[in-house]
Order: sequence, then C-alpha cells, then structure tokens
Amino acid sequence: MNQLLPVAGPRETWRAFGAEFARMPRLSTIAAALLIGAAASMLVAPWVLGRLVDAVIAGAGLDEVIGHALVIGAASVVGGLLTAAGAAVAARLGETVVARLRERVMDRALHLPTATLERTGTGDLVARAGDDVAVVANVLTGGGPALVNALLSVVLTAGGLFALDWRLGLAGLAAVPGYALAMRWYLPKSAPYYTRERIVAGERSQAMAGALHGAATVRAYRIEADQVGRIADRSEAARDLSLDVFKLYTRFSTRMNRAEYFGLAAVLIAGFLLVRYDLASVGAATAAALYFHRLFNPIGFLLMEADTFLQVNASLARLIGVANLPGRATPPVSSEPVDSGLEVVVREHRYDGGPAVLSDIVLKVAPGERVALVGASGAGKTTLAAIAAGIIPPSDGDVALGGVPLADLGEERVRQRIALVSQEVHVFAGPLATDLRLARPDAGDDEMVAALERAGAGDWFRALPDGLATEVGEGGHRLTSAQAQQLALARLVLAGPAVAVLDEATAEAGSAGARDLDRAATAVTEGRTTLIVAHRLTQAAGADRILVMDHGRVVEEGSHETLRQAGGRYARLWTAWEH
Amino acid sequence: MTVLSRALRRQRGRITASVALVCLHQTAEAMVPVAIGLIIDRAVATSDTPALLISLALLAGLFTILAMAWRFGSRIGNEAVEREAHLLRVEIAGRALDPRGQRSGMRDGELLSVVASDTEQAVQAVRAVAFIAAACTALVVSAVALIVVEPLLGIGVLLGVPLVVLGLQSLAPLMTRRSEAQQAALAATTALAVDLLSGLRVLRGLGAQHHAAGRYAGASGRALTDTLRAATTKGVHLGLTTAVNGLLLATVAGFAGWFAIQGRITVGELVAVVGLAQFIAEPVQTLGFCVQLLATARASAGRVTRVLDAKPRVEPGTAGVPAPGPARVEIDQVGYGELDGLTLRLHDGEILAVLAGSPREADELLTLLTGGVSRDDYRGTVRIDGVPLEDLALDTARQVVLVERHDVTLFAGTVRANITLRGELDDAVVSAAVANAAAEEVPLDQDLVERGANLSGGQRQRLALARALATDPPVLVLHDPTTAVDAVTEGLIADRLAGARDGAGRATLMVTSSPALLRAAHRVAVLDGGRVVAEGTHDQLVASDERYRSAVLR
Repeated sequence: MNQLLPVAGPRETWRAFGAEFARMPRLSTIAAALLIGAAASMLVAPWVLGRLVDAVIAGAGLDEVIGHALVIGAASVVGGLLTAAGAAVAARLGETVVARLRERVMDRALHLPTATLERTGTGDLVARAGDDVAVVANVLTGGGPALVNALLSVVLTAGGLFALDWRLGLAGLAAVPGYALAMRWYLPKSAPYYTRERIVAGERSQAMAGALHGAATVRAYRIEADQVGRIADRSEAARDLSLDVFKLYTRFSTRMNRAEYFGLAAVLIAGFLLVRYDLASVGAATAAALYFHRLFNPIGFLLMEADTFLQVNASLARLIGVANLPGRATPPVSSEPVDSGLEVVVREHRYDGGPAVLSDIVLKVAPGERVALVGASGAGKTTLAAIAAGIIPPSDGDVALGGVPLADLGEERVRQRIALVSQEVHVFAGPLATDLRLARPDAGDDEMVAALERAGAGDWFRALPDGLATEVGEGGHRLTSAQAQQLALARLVLAGPAVAVLDEATAEAGSAGARDLDRAATAVTEGRTTLIVAHRLTQAAGADRILVMDHGRVVEEGSHETLRQAGGRYARLWTAWEH
Repeated sequence: MTVLSRALRRQRGRITASVALVCLHQTAEAMVPVAIGLIIDRAVATSDTPALLISLALLAGLFTILAMAWRFGSRIGNEAVEREAHLLRVEIAGRALDPRGQRSGMRDGELLSVVASDTEQAVQAVRAVAFIAAACTALVVSAVALIVVEPLLGIGVLLGVPLVVLGLQSLAPLMTRRSEAQQAALAATTALAVDLLSGLRVLRGLGAQHHAAGRYAGASGRALTDTLRAATTKGVHLGLTTAVNGLLLATVAGFAGWFAIQGRITVGELVAVVGLAQFIAEPVQTLGFCVQLLATARASAGRVTRVLDAKPRVEPGTAGVPAPGPARVEIDQVGYGELDGLTLRLHDGEILAVLAGSPREADELLTLLTGGVSRDDYRGTVRIDGVPLEDLALDTARQVVLVERHDVTLFAGTVRANITLRGELDDAVVSAAVANAAAEEVPLDQDLVERGANLSGGQRQRLALARALATDPPVLVLHDPTTAVDAVTEGLIADRLAGARDGAGRATLMVTSSPALLRAAHRVAVLDGGRVVAEGTHDQLVASDERYRSAVLR
C-alpha cells in the first residue's frame, strides 16, 4: 500500500501552531487581554450578589442596594464591550492563522516533489487539504471562541471562588475527582466508537452513491430490491452505532451531573460550617454557591467537546506534517539549454526495486522533431514518456535538454520548458476561462479562444451557453472525454513549452473523434520538439520518426514508410490496424 | 410539513416519552437555583444542621431526577430521530431506484445529497419539537416559582426576559446569513483544494502548480474575509447578550434587594429570584434556536417530499413473458428525441450492429429499449416478441431485453459477485463469460471498491461485458463495449462475442463504431437523422458507401 505523508508529533504541532501566533505579537497580546478582561468581568455579578445578601442581612438601606445593582450593571456593560471586542480580535487572530496554515499546506501539497507524490498517491493529500482543513476551520471557527471563553471562565471562576474564601475554594475542588473519573471512563470508550461511526457512515454513503450512480445497471439487471436492501443494511448498522454512541454519551453526562452534585454539596456544607463558626458571611456562602453553579455550563462544554478537540488535534498534526515539508527549491541558474533538443539515456529503470521496465534506451529528439513511441500495453511507453518529460528520474540514466541535465535545471525550470499531457484527464471545476488560466494566468480572452480553436475545440466551444464563462467540471457543464482532452491540448498551447510530451489515450472518443484529436495534437505541437505515445497507430504515421518498443526495449526505429517496407513488427501491427 | 407529520405518527410513542422526560429535566434544572436559595435561607443562614442534612438529601434527589430524566429522555428522543432518518433514507433510496424511474427532476448527485444530508436535516424537526416542549415547560415552571415568591417580580421578569431575548434574536437573521456565506466560502475553498489536487498530475505536467497555489490563496483569502465578517457579527451579538443579561440581572437584584430590606421576601428567596432570572434566559434562547432549526429542516423536508411524492416516469403494463417470436424486437416508425421515423427489426438468432449518426441518437435508442420512456413521450411502436413494450410488466421486459450501457458501473464486492449480479451461476458459465469478454486476467475473487475504481477502464468494460454474457438474456443490447480495449483484444472479443451469442433463442444488438464488432455482426444498420439510411454487411457497406468508410475506418 502507499506510504503516507508525514504527521507532526504533538510538540512539533503546537510549536508550529504557536509560532504562527508569535508572528502577530501585538494582535495576540490584545486578544489575550480582551478575552481575560471579558471573563473577569463575569465574576463581578456573583461576588456583588454575595455582598448584597450580606448587606440585606445587616439591614442596609436602599442606597446601598442601588449601589450594588449599579455595580452589577456597569460590570455588565464593560463585560459586553470586552466580549464583543475580544471575539472580533480573537477571530482576526485565529482565523488568519488558520488561513495561512491552509494556504501553506496547499502550497506544499501542490509542489510535492514528484518522487514523494508517486509514492504517496493523491488520496492522502486530498484528504488532508480537504477534510482536515475543513475540520480545523469549522471547529476553530465555530467552537474556538467558545472554547477559549469556557476555559477562561472555568479558570477565573475557580480563582474567584478561592479569592472569596480559600476554604470555599477547596470545597469546590471536591468536584474534581468526579469529573476526572467521568473523563477517564468516557474518553477511552468514545474514541474508537467515533472512529467506527465515521467508517460505518462512510460505508453507508458509499453504498448509496454506488447504487444511485449505477441506477441504470441496477434497473437493467432488476436488482433494485438487492440494492435497497444493501443500503438498508448499511443504514441500519450506522443507525445502531449512532444510538450506541449516544447512549455512551448520556451515561457520561450522568457521571458529570454526579460530579456537579458533589461539588455543590461540598460548597454548601463548607459555607454552612464557615457561617456557623463565624469564619465567613452568609453572603460569601451565597456567592460561592452561585459561582459554583455558574461553572456547570463551561465545564460541561469543555468535557463534552473534549473529543472534538482531540479530533482537531489529530487533523492539525496531519496539516503541520505537510506544512513543515521543505518548500520548493530551485537550484541556482547553471547554464541555459542551447536549444530544445532532448536527449534521453536510460540504461535501466525499475520501480522501487521491482523488475526492470526499461533497459538500454537511447532516445534523441532533435529540436522541432516529432517522435512517436509504439508498442503493446506494458511495453514501457508511458514510463519512458514520463522520464523524458522529467516527471520521473530514471533509476540509471540521464536526461538532458539542450545539453543541460534536467537535475541541474530544477523541477520548476524544467516544467516551463517541457510539458506533459498525460492520460489522466481532469477538467477543473469553475468557469472555462479559470481552467485555461491555470496554464497561463495572464492569458486574454482572445488568446484562450485561439488556443481552443487550435486544439480543435472551436465547434463545441462556440455552442457553450456562456462562452469562456461557462461553468465546467464537477457540478458544471459536462464535457465528453474527447472535449476534455482538447481542453488539455488548449492548455498546452497557452503554456507554450518548447518541448511537448503527449501521452493521451484517445480510445474513448470513437473513430471519428479520435481522428479529430489526432489532428488537434498535431496542430498544437507544431514547431515544438514532440514526443508522442501512440495509443493508436494513426498517431504514429504522421511522426518524423517512430520507435517500436517491446518489453522495455526499443526493437525498431525509423520513419513510417521505412518501417512499413521493412516488413518487421511495425509492418505487421500496421496491417492488423488497417485490416 | 409531511415529513414531520409522518415522523410524529411513526415515532409517536418515543416522541411522547422523550418530551415528557425532557420536560421533567428542564423543571429540575429550573429548581436548582431555587434549591440553592432555600438551602441558604433555611440551613446556612440559620445554622440548622438537621435542615442542612435533609436539604442536601433532597438536592441529591433533585440531581438524580435531573440526570436520569435527561439520560433517558434525550436517549429516547435521539432514537426517534435516528430511526426516522433511517426509515426515510431507505424510502428515498427505494424511490430513487424504483424500476419505473421517477419524475422528481433531480439528477443523481442531487438525489444523493437528498438521501445523505437532507433526510438528516429534515428529521431535526423532531428534535426541535422536543426542545420546544421542554423550553415551554421550563418557562412555565420558572414563572410559577417566581410568582409564588413575589408576584410583582415574577410578572416583571416574565415580561422582561422574553422581550429582551426576542429583541436579541432580531440579530439572528443577519447572523444566519453571514454564517451561511462563511460556510459556503469555506466549502468552496475545500472543494477547490480537492479539485486542484485531483488534477495535480495534470497541473504538474504543465508546471502550473504555483498558478494553482495562487488561485487557492485567493479563495482562502475570500473565505477569511467572510469568516471574519461572520465572527464580528457573532461577537457583537455575544457582547450585547452579555450586557443586556447583566443589566437585567442588576435590575432584578436591585428590586429583589429592595423587597428584601422591606422584609417582603427572605434572603433565600432573593437568591432564588436572582438565580431564576438568570436561568430563564436559557429556555427563551432555546426557542429562538428552534425557530432556526425548523427553518433549515423545512427546506430539507421540502426536497425529501419532492422525491417521496414524485410520480413514476412510466406506467408499465402487466403482461408476462411472451413466447419468442421470429422478430424479437420490432421498432416501427418511432419518433423520440433525435430518432425520427426509425424502423428496425432484430430477428431471432441475429447479431445486428447499429452505427449511430450521433451520440444522442445512440443514447435515445438504448433508453427506449430499457422500457424507461413513458408511452406519451414517443411516437410509433416498440414490440418485444410481438407484444407492445408498454403492455409488458417492466420486470418481464427487462428479463427479455438486457441493455448494458456504455457508462459501465460495477459495485463493491468481488469480481464474481459483479458477474453474477442476478444470483449465483455455475462456475462453467462464469468462466465462459469471462473468457468471451477476454477478461481472464482479473481474478474472480478480487475485491472491488465502489464503482470498481481499483480496476482499469478496460478491465471494467470487459467485466461489464462478461456480466451481460453470463446473464445470457434472450435479447442483449450493448453500447460501444470495447472502446477502452486495445485493438488486438478487441478483435478477440468480437470473435468470441459472435460465437457466444450465435444461434436460435438469442438476439444481439450492438450500437458501435468499432470495425471489429461491425464486421462480426450479421448485419449493420446505419442511422442518420434518426432513421436507417443504409443496411448491409460491414464488407458490403465498406465497398459501396463512402460515408460509411470514412465513419468507421481508421
């Protein structure tokens, strides 16, 4: 199976995350001050209420009562202002950090060295830049302020309890063992449950997606009942697991209620004793009970959300793992290629110590020349094309462009000069112009239209409802596979590389469509040094030179006519192709 | 709201029990500050030890009721929600996969999101009902408690608190709008990341990664702006709530203190009143939250209902399997979409190839043969073994005519399970079908992921063909079955396919432009403009028809 990308350790995660905050020291300080101030202002009311109780018992006058009420009112207004400002500033801080993090993750992911990408595949990357970023953003945006608020409330209220009377504070600690036991009971049980719940929910949606996607097949084979039954089974499994998880959660909340009771009872008993022996006033006992009652909600929130924050922690570790990968490095400018001639020598190539897939290959493509690779599936055409394009380094061999080894040029400069259009077809979601501008961001409308025309896409492009603004890709106007390939060719025109390596399969297009694509491929590579992997022999016929490959070696070489008349393997293939 | 009323009907018992228990829980919650006040008043202030012990025991009882009522009330309520969501999901899946099709007008993707997320959203209405009942109970209990202590204060608080909270709720629509914009921007950023990375190999081929990174940074920046706007609104709301609740508390404390020094209420009652004044904000906020919950649930319920109430696409007949006729399929003067007066016969024992003039023509011919087109939507007649298609039961029609479409779908499970979709078959049948589709290199016990994504396109295509051949229907309709297969294998498949489908009792129709398959057919019909314009064997047509030659030869 694929190796995974690095995951940061806990210390590395928090150091990297903390470093982001340290980059904005003023904003961080202001946010901390505002949040602490806001939480502190919340302590005023219970404290003053305690004083009010004492004042009433002592038989105070109306003015004293009004005075206390005014203090509560003033503290509330100040608290409100601090809360609003604190939330806004903290969001600016936290969200900027999250945005920078996701941008850096995406930058590293997009520039992942080819070797790493081939080893890890795109699945893990997509999951991190998609799911993990979404988890961190959603939880921190939705729950982050509440978390900070709850944490500060708990700390300050507990502090307030001690400031009121240290003995009452100690009594409040009676709740701690209860909470700790509840957590120790819950967390180890819940984590595996949540993991399983996610897996089962994933299976449920996959069963539904599979059946709906294949509705035509399901109807043709009259297996509607089977499929609905399968969906029902998965849905039932997911439902039962959700019910179990919730059951666990409610048992946890009962344990929390128990801890709350012991804490409250301890505070009341301590208040009772202190009042009895004249060590504290009834007001202090009242304030302490009110303080403690106020702790229920924030503590409950912190503990109930504990696994959400564990989940964020895991996502964060995966993100920092990618963000901390080295950035793209471009070697210092060595020498410029003298021309666009390509020289490929592969003495041998193996994937990860497997069998040799290429051996003894010397391929020279002169500037402006068009060379085609021909051979059965598995002959090594695609691997050779990737090596020639500098996507994969050969395990034993050298590739040079205009006399300069590709390694000296560096990946970025290689890509500006050699473009590879591979079998993988992808239409980027969004307006057509946005897709095309990935190849050249400053391309004007007329340039894009000209590129589409040259790629043979003019006809269908003119029929699009909104021209270049038409939404294409996922969720937009569906392009056929032939159209998607023409789009890939149009991107090549816009990128304008000196060397083009084409490895596009045209099979899905049908005969007529394939001929159009062949013509388009010829048009867009006009004037470029070109290497074509010929999946159809007609692609080879128009090339200056043809290399016939078999089991990783070049077995014949020459022009279409020469090879046909030579009566060798190519001639036989051609006859079979032509019927 | 039909989804809600169905849920209330189906989950009647659970919802009733849950509402009762959750109401009990809220009552107990409301009594906690009252109890604290009473204990201060009767035990702490008076230093009365027996009173303290009795009241602590009563407080323990209160907490037990509170905890148990929540534990079982929320559990039963959750069960009602989850069970209802499951029932709805299965019902919708059943509708989406109805053999007759359905006219909800939704595409696959939309249906999927209805099944996956709308069902879950819609049943939240059930949760909202329980919340509303609980909040109302808490309000009533608090009101009674306050009025018992001091009628004037009680009435003041009861009028004041809801006014203040509802006033604060007026910010809710703005918050909802902003947070929806923020959610949308975040979702768009995620979608962009997934899309760009899915096309990473394409980007890399062009050296376009840094352009892509720039595009993502732009989207991320826009999401940040939206997020900050939403966060600021939320912050203002939070600040206002804090300030207003505090001012309310100050007012209540002032009046309660005044009443206390007058001796109209005791110190404990003062504490209880203040505690209740703080507590009452919670149920009122819950009510505001429920209004929003119901609004989202209603939108989802609308989509769920649209699927549940959708009419079937076709009204099939009831006739059973007819006796095989000399012409298995007769298409007469059919007009449907691009098809215009199409007349075509598929004889028993025949392998007929159709060269379609356009992809739509091909698609419409196939759709027609699946029996999935309403009788009102096409002209002319289609007969299967002499019986009009619309008179046959759908199950019968599809038992006789199997249409394997070009857009291949495989399912999760083993390769063998995918070939024997309709039930277990003899090993000999399976291996013959696999051999005829030239798919021997795929192990029968290999596990496939959903859609067979762990196979190559060519392997998927050949397995679909093997599945069709193994099913061995009287009439088999194939559409471009070899487009992802190399030329040598294609020739092999054409020969074996012709052998497997040869003979009386079977008939085969292939819509294709592959010369190998066209040559393997007994007869080729060329469509153009929706009707047959030329007919003959492949060799005859190659010899006589210039347009045919240019359309099929490479």
